[in-house]
Amino acid sequence: MTRGNSMLAAFLWLVIAFLVLYPLSILVVESFKITSTGGWGLGNYLEFFRDTYYLKTFGNTLLLSSLVLLTTTVFGVPLAYILARYRHRGKTVFTALILLPIVLPAFAGVFAFIIFFGKYGTLNLLLMDTGLIDKPVNFIYGHHGLVFIQSLHMLPFIVLGLSAGFTNIDPCFEEAAEVEGASGFRRFFTVTLPLCTPSYLAGAVLVFLWPFTDWLTPLILGQVDFLPSVSYINIAYHFTDVHRKYMGIVAVVVSAVICISLFLLARWGVEKKKYTGLSKGTTSEGRVIEPSALVKSGAYVYMVFIAILVLLIPIVLGLAAFSRRWTLEPFPTYWTLENFRLILLESPGLVKNSFLFSGIALIFGIAFGLPVAYLIVRTRVPGKDALDFVITLMLAFPGIAIGVSYLLAFWQDIPLAQYWIIMPLALFARRLPYFLRMAHSSYLQLDPSLEEASEVSGAGKIRTFFKISLPLLLKGVLVGVVMFFIMAFQEISTAIFLYRGGWETLPIGIYLNWHRGMEFGIAAAMAFLMIVITFILLLIISRIGGGVLKAAWGAAEK
Amino acid sequence: MAFIEIHNLFKRFKDVVAVNRIQLEINKGEMLTLLGPSGCGKTTTLRCIAGLEKPEEGDIVIDGKPMLSKGFVQPSKRGIGMVFQNYAVWPHMKVFNNIVYGLKLQKISRQRIKERAQQVLKLVGLDGLEDRYPSQLSGGQQQRVALARALVSNPKVLLLDEPLSNLDAKLREELRFEIKSLVRRMGITSVYVTHDQAEAMVISDRIAVMDSGNVVQIGTAQEIYKQPANRFVADFIGTMNFMSGEVVEVLRDTDQVYARTEFCEKMLCQTLDSTAAAPGSKVYASIRPEDVQIFTEPPQAAENVFKGTIAHKAYLGNFLYFFVNINDTLIRVQVAHYLPQEEGQELYLFLDPQKCIILS
Repeated sequence: MTRGNSMLAAFLWLVIAFLVLYPLSILVVESFKITSTGGWGLGNYLEFFRDTYYLKTFGNTLLLSSLVLLTTTVFGVPLAYILARYRHRGKTVFTALILLPIVLPAFAGVFAFIIFFGKYGTLNLLLMDTGLIDKPVNFIYGHHGLVFIQSLHMLPFIVLGLSAGFTNIDPCFEEAAEVEGASGFRRFFTVTLPLCTPSYLAGAVLVFLWPFTDWLTPLILGQVDFLPSVSYINIAYHFTDVHRKYMGIVAVVVSAVICISLFLLARWGVEKKKYTGLSKGTTSEGRVIEPSALVKSGAYVYMVFIAILVLLIPIVLGLAAFSRRWTLEPFPTYWTLENFRLILLESPGLVKNSFLFSGIALIFGIAFGLPVAYLIVRTRVPGKDALDFVITLMLAFPGIAIGVSYLLAFWQDIPLAQYWIIMPLALFARRLPYFLRMAHSSYLQLDPSLEEASEVSGAGKIRTFFKISLPLLLKGVLVGVVMFFIMAFQEISTAIFLYRGGWETLPIGIYLNWHRGMEFGIAAAMAFLMIVITFILLLIISRIGGGVLKAAWGAAEK
Repeated sequence: MAFIEIHNLFKRFKDVVAVNRIQLEINKGEMLTLLGPSGCGKTTTLRCIAGLEKPEEGDIVIDGKPMLSKGFVQPSKRGIGMVFQNYAVWPHMKVFNNIVYGLKLQKISRQRIKERAQQVLKLVGLDGLEDRYPSQLSGGQQQRVALARALVSNPKVLLLDEPLSNLDAKLREELRFEIKSLVRRMGITSVYVTHDQAEAMVISDRIAVMDSGNVVQIGTAQEIYKQPANRFVADFIGTMNFMSGEVVEVLRDTDQVYARTEFCEKMLCQTLDSTAAAPGSKVYASIRPEDVQIFTEPPQAAENVFKGTIAHKAYLGNFLYFFVNINDTLIRVQVAHYLPQEEGQELYLFLDPQKCIILS
């Protein structure tokens, strides 16, 4: 079978070369093009880093990243500890709620918070009604709003990693510290937290990179001086202005380089600091303590506070979705189904496209991801680790970078971008790691001797795969499939560069509705619809994968 | 001609040589055990026989058919049954389906399959459990399912990879005898891998002791215990007192030598291998604890009597261990019956020249 494996590897590499390596290299090459002379050089980069505006953008993004990381850490550490260590009722519900933002589209949060925290949003109006304030407070327009919205969106990555870390630490490490006389905070800061650095680091890097990726939140909040937003505006709106277009491309490459390097650095750090090998087996539950009544009520208040913030997103969007003309009132007064009628009956293309493109991407994902997982886990084909590496890197790649590179690569020489198949192909390339991780880990958990036993019993490789491996992998793979679908369904950063008239998906529809300043309710209704669809898919996962918790875990494997 | 012949088998994993050009012959109907510490290459050898590993060199001939030299024969085509260390019972299939999986691949009628399954289930003592899922079975029962699955299609060869190592001690001992009598009754040629010397001695007709990819010694349990090929074998199987020293004189026309050891100038010893017995060669004079005789008064023997003091003693129920200090060398002595002597008291040891062997 070795030759068969090599052929498979060669084919998969070909796919990766065509859909990932080729477009990304075109992007990099393009960034070195000097349009005035038609030659090549560092000119664009020099210009970019000399221009005070772009330098300011760069600095802003770094600052935002640091603030978001700081906020999520400060709020995330206690939250993770409470979830992992305290015995309390409703643990599953709270965990699910706190992790919810992972699966909600980022833009859903922005819209909901604009409605709720805006200048004449629900909160300001309520406060003014009660007479606590005279003039509306600016809750979200500005850096502080950005930090708040992005932090809430990224909080799950810190909480997930850390709470798993807190659970998985071998209790004997902490017991040893206790015996030595360190208790409470001292033990936490000297033993527990340091042992969790790898799990923290894995989440922290994703949090830090988010402001380098998220162009939409700043744009909607009217704060465009950040790398991704500037790239988007320069490329999408000013493509006729060659200078701005190239500055946009450079900004994309710079963000991508930063994302990839930090991601690799963190991965290296995680590998270096892995302590898990030091301990023997741990109990599945880890150390769970019964806190005092005071601490416990404090913990509840804290969890409820975060949970409410998260819940605001679907609630506010739901209110907006079922109403019209909701302005200058704390709550809507005119209820209607008109928004949904418009979406589902007047322009059903959006929903149809979303399902079609994500569905096709999903089929590509399974057809490609399962063989890759097989190669990586079960064979010694040369180059398989590199394949894994390249695909994993896609996690760190900003969506904008993929969108722009597809646009550059598949426009003239290979005019793929003129056909709608480009949409599912781009979604497939961008979201593949989600499925691969899941297939990979289920393959790892599948004991090879189960397959060997089948071969010894007289079954061939193909039969063994379908009779033994696939049924046993199915659970993990299905969770991966649904996660992949959810993520593809929400994708906007790449799609926004590639769509043409008639190819709009739901997220693009949301953006366009907001952008054209049309009825806000329609955008809210679309976002609400997406949340509902996501929720149904999550329910499916929890049915197969055992609990919403595990379902959400899948996402955190990224 | 042996039923399974292993010629010059060589297998490496990257830079680590797992199996180093071994030769092995297994007779028809024989149960041969590959015994050795972890990493000695015993499991790799077994997996090569099964076809789950592809060796770099050598050949394996099963019932006259080469498995490697005339093209690699896939595991599915080798006609073997195998029991895995962790059972590898498929969790998504009921016991019955686990067992008949291989039978279904052959052209056998449904009725025949059912009968055969019932037979085997009865044989391993699982009748009545065919509709259970593996998760509803105990470890011992899962082990029996794995055994039934391996036996069901009457394989030419049965391979067992540490099949009992995941069970608790009591069950392990019980199943040893059960497997032995079952396999013997069916007359299947089998290869058994274990690191447990007691298990190997109970279960096998012959034992092949392996160390770092080599077969060090092949023989019956008794041969290996009584006449170990070298220090490694003697140390791995049973307990042995090793006294490092040097041959000083070879007695003509006998297979006895005098050796100088760490605690005495002259000790009369038996040689098992005359090549090691040249004067001046570094050797270990070795004796099993149960072969050392203990006396309170100086015994009548002319040679090999030494005076020592009891350093400590340990009571193990059916026997006692005395650790006797002779000129700063501790000799372990196994005493079958209770002796009143206490730590610090003096004793005489007689190291019987017939039992005191020279090992390299």
